[in-house]
Amino acid sequence: MEILKSKVSRRRFLQATGGAGAAGAVIGGTGIGGLQTLGEAQAAAGDGQTKINTSICGQCPARCGIHVYTTNGRVHAIYGNPEHPIANGKGCPKMFLGTYILYDPDRFKGPMKRTNPKKGRDEDPKFVPIKWEEAYQIVADRLNALRDKGESHRFGLFFGRGWGASDVGVNIVPFGKLFGSPNVPIGHSSICSDGSVVAKQCTDGNASYSSYDYRNANYLLMFGANFLEAFRPYNNNLQTWGYIRGEKVPKTRVTYVDVHMNQTAAAADRALLLKPGTDGALALAIAHVILTEGLWDRHFVGGFKDGGNHFKSGETLDPASFNERWTSGLVEWWNAELKDRTPKWAEGVTTLPADLIIKTAMEFGTTRPAIALFERGAHTHSNGLYNGMAIHSLNALVGSLYAEGGLAYQMGPAYGAAPANPDDFLDEHAKNGAWKKFPRIDLQGHDDGYKLAKNMIQEAGANQLSGKAGYKLDTALFYMTNPAFSTPNARDWEKAMETMYVIDTSPFPGETAWLADLILPDNTYLERWQDAPTYPFQGWPLAQIRTPAIKPLYDTKTFGDVLIEIGKRIKGPTGEYYKKLDNVENILRHLAKGFEQTPGDNGVNSFETWVEKGSWYKKPYLWRQVRGEFFEWDGKGYNKPMKADEVKAKLLKTDSGKFEFKSSKLEHEAAWIAAKTGRDPKKLAFPQWEEPKHTGSGDLHFVTPKTALHCEGRGANLPNCIAIFQPTVGGRTQAMAELHPSVAGAKGIRDGDRIKIKNNLGEIEAVARVTELTRPDVVVLPFEYGHWAMGRWAKSRGAHVDSIVAQQSDRVTGMANYYTGKVSVEKA
Amino acid sequence: MAKWGMVIDLEKCTGCQACSTACQMENNRLPGENYQDVIYYTEGRQPTPSLKWFPRPCMHCEEPSCMHVCPTKATFKTEDGVVLIDWNKCIGCKYCMVACPYGVRFYTDEKALLEPNLKDVFKGEGELSWNPPYKGPQQDPAHGVGIQPAGVVSKCTFCYHKISKAPKGVPDLDEDVAELREFVPACVRCCAPKARYFGDLDNPASKVSRLISEKDGTRLLDHTGNKPQVYYLTGAGAAGSAVPSSRSTTSKA
Repeated sequence: MEILKSKVSRRRFLQATGGAGAAGAVIGGTGIGGLQTLGEAQAAAGDGQTKINTSICGQCPARCGIHVYTTNGRVHAIYGNPEHPIANGKGCPKMFLGTYILYDPDRFKGPMKRTNPKKGRDEDPKFVPIKWEEAYQIVADRLNALRDKGESHRFGLFFGRGWGASDVGVNIVPFGKLFGSPNVPIGHSSICSDGSVVAKQCTDGNASYSSYDYRNANYLLMFGANFLEAFRPYNNNLQTWGYIRGEKVPKTRVTYVDVHMNQTAAAADRALLLKPGTDGALALAIAHVILTEGLWDRHFVGGFKDGGNHFKSGETLDPASFNERWTSGLVEWWNAELKDRTPKWAEGVTTLPADLIIKTAMEFGTTRPAIALFERGAHTHSNGLYNGMAIHSLNALVGSLYAEGGLAYQMGPAYGAAPANPDDFLDEHAKNGAWKKFPRIDLQGHDDGYKLAKNMIQEAGANQLSGKAGYKLDTALFYMTNPAFSTPNARDWEKAMETMYVIDTSPFPGETAWLADLILPDNTYLERWQDAPTYPFQGWPLAQIRTPAIKPLYDTKTFGDVLIEIGKRIKGPTGEYYKKLDNVENILRHLAKGFEQTPGDNGVNSFETWVEKGSWYKKPYLWRQVRGEFFEWDGKGYNKPMKADEVKAKLLKTDSGKFEFKSSKLEHEAAWIAAKTGRDPKKLAFPQWEEPKHTGSGDLHFVTPKTALHCEGRGANLPNCIAIFQPTVGGRTQAMAELHPSVAGAKGIRDGDRIKIKNNLGEIEAVARVTELTRPDVVVLPFEYGHWAMGRWAKSRGAHVDSIVAQQSDRVTGMANYYTGKVSVEKA
Repeated sequence: MAKWGMVIDLEKCTGCQACSTACQMENNRLPGENYQDVIYYTEGRQPTPSLKWFPRPCMHCEEPSCMHVCPTKATFKTEDGVVLIDWNKCIGCKYCMVACPYGVRFYTDEKALLEPNLKDVFKGEGELSWNPPYKGPQQDPAHGVGIQPAGVVSKCTFCYHKISKAPKGVPDLDEDVAELREFVPACVRCCAPKARYFGDLDNPASKVSRLISEKDGTRLLDHTGNKPQVYYLTGAGAAGSAVPSSRSTTSKA
């Protein structure tokens, strides 16, 4: 056998057949050596021992507890922390990609400054390395000069991922107050999911995401919250799914609503694939059926005075005939809107058959406990506020608020006080400086902007160019956000960055960095200290801590420490405040003092035990609604009845202290909303159907969902992630555009062809995947790719979907309308 | 001696691919060459299309056709029932890849799925065909564990570097048992919906034996006579994840 001979001669066949394997088989055996690509931090002498560090993941807001395995100075494995209540030893697909992020060969290696004064995609920044001390002084000199000139409002700090601004390791909010700028900080929540936050604020008074008791629910009705691909906490959702579908008795029934068939839709009992932007119409019809069929929860909602049911389609009622308990405005809502929202009507709007809508409503209305949940799929449209309010109203109708198997809101951790109180360090400028007269650059909170929104990062770039806020930013610092790529019509932000001094803190060479004047690279999440109160989970308080698994591979620094070092160099009491804070680890030690008074269920009562266990938590959630009565936990059970004013203060934080089908918050702002949107001031406070205003142009809806492998924006430069990024339709080297065969056939497009997706904003190219998974009126192309920077694998791979998504936002919630664009397709 | 086997509950599987990413982390896999994949199928037409998926590791067959065709006896069956490749003996002829009915074998020197090729970015030398900084410490060519030399075939080892260290006589390697956690294969340990179980098929008291018995565990392509040691539970009315069916996948536009 010739083949055998030649191969054997190349290999050490005979020499090795005996014992070669045995030596290497020992776990933690001899090191491999040959660390060719990294610096001295990695070349630490290997003792063969494997160290396991307890920390938290950084690839989505859930922040799962992780164990990080390091041998001979190399991080080589990450698994879920079995003692962490979200992770429970498990992981989502992203968790195991963490080592690739740490060792990404395109990371910045240290601080740098730009030497090419020209900016643009085609202008090499010509960065030169500098020392950290010089970098801090450059920033401090700029900020001190602005303050001296009375122009401190012209400094902005933009941040992305963050559960509140605190989990940077240092609360970034006081910087604005001390230094004196309305633009410190501006978060990214309006390009995230503010649509749901504000919809909940308008109905139950809580401006927050919900916590969910999925495990005790028997029915889940999901609108555009992709539970098994993108909804958080993803890892725990997957664990929940295994339980509710494979072990729980009775098995939880799931109906899922979206615009194409994805994993959640496929795994659910029923998938309702509706026309984009019409989720609210479906929810209204379900509410209609719940009322006409008499399926609402009498304990929570109340009932007709005569005990009957008088809801009849199309007929108005006397509000005085109904006694409401914990809701407000039900009959008024019925009269103004709901009476006409029949399943037949909804069929015409959503394209879903009326009988399926009725079935879904009957199931949802008769199975308790039941939860209706929603996120971006439902609310990234001009009617997003109403879609969200209508869906959330279903929870009120079936009595799920604060109930076992229902939904509630997240409690915060028992933190100790920070090392210093910013209020003790306010000078005259901070208290009464000229900066106080200026609006935010994004016009959040302003009559001419988005008065009721929480943030408007997607408007800040355009406002910088137009001067609409009355001034322009001089200097802007970016932390975990890349608006030059990730905002609708990102070109505005790109141009805006040419008009300001840009400081980027990303460890990675993204678009914002390419346009930056100064690079202050952060550590990756496996190299830094940080705290993270939980994203809304199950309500009871939980705070996890991130600790470095390994010393930074390069000359990078944790952003929290960088901000403190800049703060120390600001003249006056601001500098004194930051000297008190000193560093992130010091702050974490102060926060942990709170655990001395309130030890966690896992025995965490100090900084050291927090670091050891990775999280502090304290069950149970303190409040519960049972059959229309609210109770507080008394240490043994939900035994302490709550009075109406307590419920209002702690749980239903609206004017009425009830769940409001007629929103008092919207009523207060009715004149402004009516003026800006043209809505009827008498009706705008109710959840209602409003046709979405689609942007773009063309015959197809353009939907750009998040996939499971988003990896906090870094997936596009991780080859091992790209290869499995879009598994349902085989997007292995880039995302593929899902196109229905009828559309493809009409345009002469075959599976695998390159196509143009175009509208009035421009065009992008993608590869077509002709598939029955997607509705005939929708083209689906997940966001992730199309970078013009970001690293060797990301650059020029795939299409940048947001370059053909217009900047239109919900005027009330501020939510960017990402999924509302129209396009047409043709063969490229 | 145990006969290690795996049970995958398709009623619980969410198709998330954590098994694939944990596998590539633990076994230093190149992009698109995970020892275990989740395969997706589309059937039916709008408005009632169906999407299904199927997780597929090496079946570690009792009668592995890959082993029988190997001209150098590089592929072998361990005493505890695992099919492995001795890279010191493998000549890269790929007969095994043709013989395997499940398509779960990989040749080291295939064209890279993605450029730049990671092998060029993290160059190796000697017996390591590449050497990424995140490489794990285990390197055991006689059992096909670690980074491959050039010119060999490799495959799922049931994370042999883990399970071979497990205490003898345990019926199951369950990640929820703290003392056993480090010995559980990566794809089982990571699985959030707990759709995977790993244990001794020869032990009638093991969880895997119980699940196969109670939930009618089935094997893929059983007619080939390979007798896989990976069993699937298809549940009653399992949606989403499923054994591939023969439903027509063609449709008229």
